[in-house]
Amino acid sequence: MSQQKPTPPILLGAVALGAAGVLGTYFAAGPERFWANWVLWFVLMFTLGLGSLFIVALEHLVSAKWSVPVRRIPERLATLLLPAIPVGLIALCAVPVLYPGSRPEAAHHPILAGKAFWLSLPFFSARTVFAFVLVVIALAVLVGGSLKQDVSKDPAFNFRARKFAPAFMAIFALVITLVAFDWISGLTPEWYSDIFGVYIFAGAFLSGLAATALSLLYLQGEGRLEGVRQDHLYNLGAFLFAFTVFWSYIGFAQYMLMWYANMPDEVIYYKVRLAGAWRAITFALAALHFILPFFALVTRDAKRDPKRLRRVAILMLSAHVLDMYWLIFPALGGSPRFGWPELSFALFFLGGILLWIRGAMERGEDMPVGDPFLREGLEFRL
Amino acid sequence: MSKKSYAVLGLFDTPDALMHAIPKLRAAKLGTVEAYTPYPIHGIDEALGLRRSPLGGMVLVMGVLGALTAFGFQYWISAIDYPIITGGKSAASWEAFVPIMFEVTVLFATFTAGLGMLLLLNRLPFFGHPVLSSKAMKSITRDRYALALEAESETFDSAAAAQALEAAGAAEVEVLPAPDRSPFLTSDYILRTLGSIFVACLVAGLGIYSLIKWFPLLAPMKYMQDQPRLNAQKASTFFKDGHGMQPPVPGTVARGYLPTATGTQEAAATLVNPLPRTKEVFAQGRKVYSNRCEVCHGALANGAGSLTAAYGAKPANLQAQQFRDYPDGKIYWAVVNGKNAMPAHAAYLTEPQRWAVVHYVRALQRAQNATDEDLKVVAP
Ligand code: HEC
Repeated sequence: MSQQKPTPPILLGAVALGAAGVLGTYFAAGPERFWANWVLWFVLMFTLGLGSLFIVALEHLVSAKWSVPVRRIPERLATLLLPAIPVGLIALCAVPVLYPGSRPEAAHHPILAGKAFWLSLPFFSARTVFAFVLVVIALAVLVGGSLKQDVSKDPAFNFRARKFAPAFMAIFALVITLVAFDWISGLTPEWYSDIFGVYIFAGAFLSGLAATALSLLYLQGEGRLEGVRQDHLYNLGAFLFAFTVFWSYIGFAQYMLMWYANMPDEVIYYKVRLAGAWRAITFALAALHFILPFFALVTRDAKRDPKRLRRVAILMLSAHVLDMYWLIFPALGGSPRFGWPELSFALFFLGGILLWIRGAMERGEDMPVGDPFLREGLEFRL
Repeated sequence: MSKKSYAVLGLFDTPDALMHAIPKLRAAKLGTVEAYTPYPIHGIDEALGLRRSPLGGMVLVMGVLGALTAFGFQYWISAIDYPIITGGKSAASWEAFVPIMFEVTVLFATFTAGLGMLLLLNRLPFFGHPVLSSKAMKSITRDRYALALEAESETFDSAAAAQALEAAGAAEVEVLPAPDRSPFLTSDYILRTLGSIFVACLVAGLGIYSLIKWFPLLAPMKYMQDQPRLNAQKASTFFKDGHGMQPPVPGTVARGYLPTATGTQEAAATLVNPLPRTKEVFAQGRKVYSNRCEVCHGALANGAGSLTAAYGAKPANLQAQQFRDYPDGKIYWAVVNGKNAMPAHAAYLTEPQRWAVVHYVRALQRAQNATDEDLKVVAP
């Protein structure tokens, strides 16, 4: 394990500056804008953490061997779910401000009144807390257990994790659907789409993969993770590549059906996002989230070229931010808002996330040294 | 051995032994080195110096071609050749093309991958590869690892190859005779292939037919078939009157048939023919006239049509001074609304067709009353 390095002051400065801007936003730009930003960053942290945890569980589910040497990275990234919990609890204050279903006017709205029980703040909060509890249990079993195995070297963990993985998949589906429906599509409660949870899953998994690839390359740049080779990179790249298609498939399927049926209560969602400056953002999203990464990763060499992979991972994470912005910010009405409040939030949360991940990257060994399959994973060749 | 040989096969007991032998054999340059193993061995591609398969590039190109083909095809059909408005969408709606573009991309790509691998890169059909009939075949597919030195030219020396293999550590060596490369597409082969395809279709068709006929409950998924829907000319429980087909809502107007000149004929007198007097417009007017008006008004518009007395009314002689003085609008009004025994044509003619026939009637009138002036050739 490498020596703990001092926190770079630039990160701390960014967080402090961001914090000032965040506070300023509430008073100068109004609570609506404040909470929209807050929810955006909560969703980003949560999906990134959940996507990483999904990668971990996927390995246990299918007993994958190739990913054992890199598993510690998504495990560490998944701990991002812990700071996301207080952020999410604070975000509950946004519900009466931002979510039409929880405002008093909803009682007079024929559709919303019918969903009142589900959309009301108490039940909303109960679901959120329930999701957090599930997530903490999953973290304790999968990540906590894996960290303990570093010392105990007890293969019983592998059996436990493999048994837990199917249950985790159910938990994961439930939690990501709750996040998608409550926190994102809850902003437009008259609108609904059955596939919306899957769409958010695609984005979450992609952001988890991209963050994993990025952290892996960063650690390798520091001379750590020796033994992880191009073959492992290739598999990560292939996953990223495949899921850019999955994301666009789901996103387009959702769009096309609504476009075709042209029902006012459905199509309004896209009408808003295809008007004015939002239109440009929609096309940018298609380009950045699908077309660019797809063609950047299409060849075999590209998938294992560290330089290319790093660029695509950064692109993918930015595209995920844009995706969530595109989903959440139209709720404020009017054209896209982007100014000092958004920059301050980005500084504050991005700085905070990076600080957390820096700390997390020192947790446990760089590879799950207690896992009996580590050797097999290191020997993995394409 | 006088007979030409295809290759010399050396058997190794472990993958390691095989991997160590490869560089030695490649250095000997006696023939192409090829490996046969019961499962993929990591690093063997690099050791054999296999060139990168061109299949990936082929698949990419064909995939893109598939997407373009599907797009072009659908665009041509739905926007150019036979534009039909569906669901109020523009005829050239790319959104609707995407699913088929996706499918055709996958189709082209998979076919290229499969057939390209088999036919182009593996050079099939090639019945009875010599290795398949070798003695070593059984153990190659089970627990042993083979290297072959394949003949590259006529000068292939099987004895030297066998020696090289043994020197490289092969436990056993086997010389494979050259395969029979005689043409296989004989009439017998073709007949048998076609015959088996025919029999296979027959059996499958009969099987499915009898299955559906006698065990209708076995049909796997019938939601699409059983959903409530409307059929042309069929009864339906969907509407109160029990008809599947419903008359359009009162006041419905088909595209291109917007009602104009709904007032009196006098009011229509001020309407101006919006069409230019071009060759194409006259050609269209002439077509409409001969299809729709000629029976009653006659080819010269003189009221002498081919109708018999049974019709019971006298179609107007459009060459009469009264009608020559008519403004365009009044003729147009008569075409749209009909007059007395003349039926309304609004439902048969689109707006441009109505005005084109007005132009043509004017041309007929002028032709029958031509002056010397008209003979002057007008420069086009
Ligand atoms: C079924 C026979 C029939 C057909 C077809 C027919 N007409 Fe007529 N048309 C008549 C009859 C009969 C009259 C005389 C109506 C009256 O004034 O009683 C008439 C009258 C007219 C008039 C004079 C209207 C007026 O103001 O008095 C015009 C102009 C005319 N037709 C044009 C056409 C044109 C152009 C077509 C082809 C699009 C056409 N007709 C097709 C039977 C026909």
